[in-house]
Parts: sequence; structure tokens; C-alpha cells
Amino acid sequence: MLKTNWFYILLSLSGQEQHGYGIMNDVLERTNGQIRLWPATLYGTLKRLIEAELIEESDRRPAAEFDDARRRYYRLTKLGRSMLDTEGQRLEQLVGVLRKRKLEAL
Amino acid sequence: MIRFCLLVYRRLARAFPHEFQIVYGADVVQLGEDAIQEIAKTHGVLGLVRLVADLAWRVPVEYFSEIKQDLIYASRVLMKSPGVAVAAVLSLGLGIGVPAVGYSEVNALLLRDMPGARDPKRLLTVEKPTSYVHFERYREHRELFSGVTAYVESLPFKFEHERVFGHLVSPEYFEVIGVHLAADGVVISDRFWRERLNSAPDSIGRSVRLNGHLVTIAGIGPKDFLGATPIVPADIFVPMSMQPDLVPELGENVTRRSDLKVFRVLMRLEPGATAKSANAAADTIARQLDGEGFDADRNKKGQQVRLLPGGGAMPRPPELLPIIFGFMGTLMSLILGISCTNLANMLLARAAARRKEIAIRLAVGASRFRLIRQLLTESILLALGGGVAGFFFAYWLTSAATTMYHKFPTPMPIDLDVRPDWTVLAFTFVLALIAGVGFGLAPALAATKTDFGPALKEGAVTRLRGYRRFGLRNLLMVYQVSGSLMLLIITGFIVLGFSNMSKANAKFDPANLYLLSIDPVRDGYSPNQTASLFEKLRERLQGAPAVESAAFTDVAPGNMFALGSTVFTVPAAGGEPAKVLKSVKKDIAGANYFKTLRVKVSAGREFSSRDEEDASNAAQPAILSEIAAAAMFGSADPIGRRIVNEKESFEVVGVVPDIQGESLGVKPPPAVFVPLTKRAYTRPPSGGMTLMVRASAPGGDAINEIRHEIWAMDPNLSVFNVRTMNEYLEQSTTIMRWTSIVYGGFGIFGLILASVGLAGVTAYSVAQRRQEIGIRMALGARPGQVLRLVMREGAGLVMVGSVVGFLGAWAIARVLSAISAEMAETLSAKQPLLMIGAPLLLAGLAMLACYFPARRSTRIDPVTALRQE
Repeated sequence: MLKTNWFYILLSLSGQEQHGYGIMNDVLERTNGQIRLWPATLYGTLKRLIEAELIEESDRRPAAEFDDARRRYYRLTKLGRSMLDTEGQRLEQLVGVLRKRKLEAL
Repeated sequence: MIRFCLLVYRRLARAFPHEFQIVYGADVVQLGEDAIQEIAKTHGVLGLVRLVADLAWRVPVEYFSEIKQDLIYASRVLMKSPGVAVAAVLSLGLGIGVPAVGYSEVNALLLRDMPGARDPKRLLTVEKPTSYVHFERYREHRELFSGVTAYVESLPFKFEHERVFGHLVSPEYFEVIGVHLAADGVVISDRFWRERLNSAPDSIGRSVRLNGHLVTIAGIGPKDFLGATPIVPADIFVPMSMQPDLVPELGENVTRRSDLKVFRVLMRLEPGATAKSANAAADTIARQLDGEGFDADRNKKGQQVRLLPGGGAMPRPPELLPIIFGFMGTLMSLILGISCTNLANMLLARAAARRKEIAIRLAVGASRFRLIRQLLTESILLALGGGVAGFFFAYWLTSAATTMYHKFPTPMPIDLDVRPDWTVLAFTFVLALIAGVGFGLAPALAATKTDFGPALKEGAVTRLRGYRRFGLRNLLMVYQVSGSLMLLIITGFIVLGFSNMSKANAKFDPANLYLLSIDPVRDGYSPNQTASLFEKLRERLQGAPAVESAAFTDVAPGNMFALGSTVFTVPAAGGEPAKVLKSVKKDIAGANYFKTLRVKVSAGREFSSRDEEDASNAAQPAILSEIAAAAMFGSADPIGRRIVNEKESFEVVGVVPDIQGESLGVKPPPAVFVPLTKRAYTRPPSGGMTLMVRASAPGGDAINEIRHEIWAMDPNLSVFNVRTMNEYLEQSTTIMRWTSIVYGGFGIFGLILASVGLAGVTAYSVAQRRQEIGIRMALGARPGQVLRLVMREGAGLVMVGSVVGFLGAWAIARVLSAISAEMAETLSAKQPLLMIGAPLLLAGLAMLACYFPARRSTRIDPVTALRQE
């Protein structure tokens, strides 16, 4: 099972490469402002995700006008993507079980 | 507000661990700066607080994760070289375990409080036994003492059918100790109630036979309470209001006389009073009493009475603490120091081998601090492993020692549990941490000092290591050699000193000799009944066919505690002045004592049964050991001369050889034997009276026959401590023998570590100088010359170490002999053997340890060595 923070970061990197600020905003938006990854926690988690080889630093940069040279960009690794997929399937399965139970209860 | 938050934020961000900061520090700060406006807008002040709090929380988390990484890394490194790890843990286990044993023993003897006592720090005890009259005077001083009690310690009682040891106590006893007991009468300990009375609920109020008389159990003491001298536990407490025929010690009007000094006095300090003022007052009281003419030797100088802390396992003279801690501390720090140095050397060698790894880590941005911490983590991990091993070692050794203390044939049971408690565990843990930093820091500092340029170049030699006189490794080695030598000499002295006592060295024939003890007075016999019992027993023994000879005594000979403590005076006669002989051993020898021991009387005669009839009008006969005769009368004939002890006059009737032999230069104490009189067996020592029986044939026949005779006379008479003389000698020497083995083990341990250390240093030096040696050999150096070159270094270290160690040991020996006179005697007798032998032994072994790795240098093939360049 993936930790919540890990899941959201992987999720927000699944579409595109992001820098830290981007990830923070992305998660904030996705959860309607419910979950904020505070800076130190965010980078601590990124560090562990890199150590677990789920994400990596990207050397490609977006178009120059959006780029901030001081920022590091991150992207999913293959392992990270398959991990995210597995977690998605697991969650779907769980939700399925719950739905079935609700139907039976009716 | 926002600006202030940012300031704090930036400050905190700088507190991240170095590695984290290099990679993410800037990003964290950047993100905070970028987001702070928006956060303040959405979440308000609370958001700002959370922003900072998040950072404050993550800083320790990151540190913790680094430490975790260090630990994982360290255990991986250690796993990779299990040999080194095991060797380190074992050597440290001993290095830590030995001090833990020492601390555990000191803790049990001197540091633990009296169980069951309230506020034991306020308890004082009079150093020496004193009289009841003195006690009553102390008790009057209410301004100093809130309570004072007197008691007679370690007295045997016959409780129903078994012998139990306990105290004879004054009414204040329990109140002074702070034990809540509303009982007036005989009290038993909780331990006794549970173990012997099976926790019978109706025990209180039950009538039992105590020394043959009916008494009622009035109370049971609190849990763990074993009296005021827990080291000699008391299971029964008998008030002094009992009848003297019940307790023989209460006879002779003992509470009215100031010359019978048999009472221990325990006092509780009044809240305002200090131990110092109490001490001064007690001394004044004693002087006053003596001034009133109670004491014959009233003109003594100096302090007469001393109060000691009384709330421990036993009264402890304060001057003992620095000696014990000083001695133990020296010994323990030597052992720990040696084992730490050995490890430091090992780690230094490893650090050299790990140069490349360290250089790489430094190059990729690890801070030096981080690397030092990494290396320290490894050594602390090793040390903790050593600590665990050491604790188990200490537990094993102290358990064995505890069992042995219990088996020791003292007249009264001794309860000395030296097994570790939680304070010892804490001590071990702290010691392990100190050791871990101690042996790890220097190598870690040295290893990370690398200038990593050359280290990274493949095949490069970091530095051609020449003969560095003051290199860290050399210093460590000198310390190790000198420390081992000191340890060897100190433990050598201890081993020799103890082996003195560990050999019973009995100069009599112990074969077919049996011992048994009886104590008729505690079985309820009156003095007259006891006298007739002894007489009848003697007659019956003479007729017993399995018995060759038998004799009574107070304490069987051959005990290592055969120390003299009695004063005898030889009155002036024939123009010679009076002589006073202190520390004489006074023993009771019943009729046929020496015949039974098969010791030939060298002059005069031995006691016969006629000497045992109470001849109070005439001078009693006495027999001197040869040493005593020489000390008292020189070469003059002692037969017929008079000697005086405690106002009693004796006439010398015989001289016997010493039954206790001289060993290692220490002479046995002078001995005076006096006959068995009625007074002796009506007020017997706590071990009762001992009967020595020489059987005419081996096997237990004689002892069974005697038991049978005793039972035939009175089936209720207890016969106890039945054993062969050989068993007795064995039991009384086991501890000493064992102690000398253990100390000897410590010495050898140091010796081995020093040798292994030297071998390691030499091997390392040979490995470092491979190329140099290769070149030398290529240029025509002979193997012998190369060997000498390598050995010279080791020899220098051994020499310097030996000199330093010798001086250190000499200083320690001086201190030891200043502390104890006996130690001084052993030291002076054995000094040459140890002071010359030990350095030679160490130097020989050390050179051997150098030789093997050095020999390898001669097998270096110059072609291979040089090709590596």
C-alpha cells in the first residue's frame, strides 16, 4: 500500500514532469484544497521517492519562458508508473468490494 | 509577520543535515518563499505556523533517517567482515564485562541499601561491637538520635528442628530501622515464613519450640527484610527480654556489664543532626564511660568510637571507598583501555583499507562530520554488541560467584548476591557507549583526514609510510604494551596473593578425617547437662571400633580465615621485659586434638581429658605453635612459662608444629591452643562445637557410628555440618582458587590482546611497505636484513611500552603496599619474580607476535611487488 503523500505525488507526476511548487499546487487542486504538501514534507517525501527509485530528476526542461533554472523537475520512473497503476487497481478493487456490500445491504 | 516567518523558516532550513541541504535545501527555501503569500491568504496565521512547524518537524526526521541509514550501512559493513566483528565483540565483551563484574560486586557489597529500611541514608552504626552499657548511654542522646537499638548479630537458634540464624534485639530495633511491626515478641522474616512455614496463614500466634523452649510467633517481617546486616541475613528476631536459659548469649549478666562487647548498635540520626556531630558525641560518650572506670584500657589515644554509614548491606568504613574504587577503577580502566586500544588499532588498519570508499563518499558531497558519524556508528554498534556480550559474561561470572559465596563454609550463612541489577545494566550500557566513542573516534578522525586526490587514483600509493615515531598507531601500541604489562603485574600479585589462601596448605593428614558439629545449648540443654553430655560422648567415642581418635574444637583447622586477632602478653620474667603479641590465633583444642590430626607434639604434651575439668583456681594449660613460641620466648624453653590473655593466665605445657603451612613467603599467624572448658561449650561460637573424627578405615562408617551414638543418647540433638575434612578444605578454598583463576584470566587476556595487536601492526606495516621492501630486495638486501628492518619497529614499541608499563606497575605496587600490610608482605616476597618475569614474558610473546608477520616480508617477491606500481 502506498502512503497517501506518495500516492498524490506519483499521481501528479503521472501526467507531466513537475517541480516542487507545481506538485504542491497540483495536489491542492486535485483534492479541492484538502491536502497541502507542506514544503519540508514535500521535499522529504521526494527524497524518499527518489531513493525508492519511483521517481527521478529530469534533465529535460519545459519551454524557456516557463522554466525556472533554479528548480529541479521530477518525473516518474517505469517502476513508479507501474507502482501507481498497481495502487490504482488495488483501490478500484477495494471500492468494488465496498459497493457490492452496499448493494447487498439494500 | 510574513517577513518574520520567512526569517525563521530560512534559519530552520539551514539546520537540515548536510547532505539533504546540498540537494534540497535551496528548493525548500524557494518553495517556502513562493508559497508563503498564498498560504497566508488561504490559511491565515495558522497556515504560517503550520509552514514553520512542518519544517521544524522535518529537520529531526531527516536526521533520524540519516542515522537509520548509518545503522543499516554500518551493519552491512560489519556483515561483510564477520571475523573482525566477532573478534571485536568478544574482545570488547571482556573489556566491558570485566568492569561490569567489578561494579556488580561493589554494588552488592557497598552501594545497595538495606532492604526494607526507611530512609537508610540516615542510619549509622558503631564500627565495632560494644557493650550494652555503652548502648544505653548513646540512647539517652535524643537531640542527636531519633532512635538507637542494640542487637547481637548472626546467632544460631534452634527453631523446632532446624538451625536458623537471627538477631537478638533490643525493643527499639524495628522502629529504628523503620519497619512497621506492632509486635512484641519473637518475629520471623517474610522469607522464612514463606520458605519454611509454607506461608501458613495461622503462623502468627503459633507456639513453637525455640532453643528447646516454647515461645509464640508474634509477627512476620516485611518482604525482603533480613535484618540490619543483610549480608549475614537474619530470619528470626528474638527480643532481649527472653530468659537467659533460652538464649545462652543473655547469660553472664550481659546487659549490665561494660566489658562484654558483643552488641552492635544502630542509630537513626535526628533530622537536624549530622553524622559528624554524632561521631564526635559518640566518641565523647565512650570517653566519659571509660573515665568512670568501666574500661581497663582507658588511656587510649585518638578517636575511640567511630560511627559508620549503617544503611547498606554491611557497615562500610568511608576510607574503604576510595581504595576500592581506586583499585577497581585502575584495574577496570586498564582492561577496558587495552581492549579499546586493540580495537582502535584494528579500525585504523581497516580505515586505511577503506580509504577509497571514504574518499569517494567525500567527493560526492558527504560532509566530514557525516562520515565521522558514519564510522562512529559502526564502532558504537560494535561496542553495543560488546556491551551485550559483556553483560552476559558478567551475569554468568557473578552467578557462579554467588553460588560459591553461598557454599562457603562460614559458621553463619552469607547472603551475598552479586548478580547484576538494573544499575549494573545501565553501567554496562554507558560503558559500551564510552568505549564505542573511545575506540572509534581517533580512527574516524584519521580516516576522514584523507587528502582524497591520490587515494582515488588507481594503484597510487597514498603515502610511503616511513618510521613515524609518534604516529597514532605507535602511540596506541605503546599504550597497549604498557597497559598489558601493568595488568599482568597487578593480576599477578593478586593471583599469587590468593593462591596463598587457595591452597589450604594444611600440615596435617586430612585422609579419613571427618567433621560434624553439635550445639547442645541451643537444643535446650543447661550448662550442667551439656557438660555431662560431652563427657558421655567422649566415653562412647573411645569404645567405638570405627573411630581411631576424636577431638572437639571450636573451628576446624585449615580454614583460610585463619587470621589471628587475639592479644597475648608475656609478663616480664628473668630480666626480660614484658612482651605484647597482637594478632594471635586462639583456638580451642579438645583432648587428643593433635593425635586426631596426626600432628606430633614437638615439646611437652598435648591436652588430655583432665585438662578439660574446669580448673578455675589454677592457671589453665596452653599449647603454642612453633611460630608463637619463637615470637614469645625466642630460643628459650617455653614449657612452664606464663602467658596472659584477657586477664586469664595460662601455663605453657606444650609446643606443636604449625598446622597451617607457610606459603609464598607469608608466615601463618602465631597460634595458641587452649583446652575445651565448660564455658566454651555453654557459650559456643555460632558454628557450634565441631567434632573431628579420625576413622580407622575410609568410608562413612565412623561418621554413621557417631551419629548413631549421639542419637542413642538424645534423638533430639541436632547434628549438622557433617562433612569430610577434604570437603571442608575444598569448600573453604574454592572461591580463592576461582578468584585467582579469574584474575589470571584477565592478565592473560591483556597479554593476548597486546600480542594480537602487535602482530596486526606489524602485518599492516609490512603490507604498507611492500614496495619499499621489494626495491630493497631487488637491490640485494638479504632476507635477514629485511626481517631485522621490520622487527626493529616492533621491538622499539615493545621496549618503550615495557618501560612505561614497568614504571606504572611499580607505582601501583607502591600504592597497594601502602594500603595493606598483607599485600606489602606478598609484594615484597614476590616482587623479583613478577617484576622481572612479567616484562620478560610479555616482551617474549610480543616479539613472537611480531616475528610471524615480519617473516612474511622476507617472502615478498620483488618482481610482483614492483609490478603493482
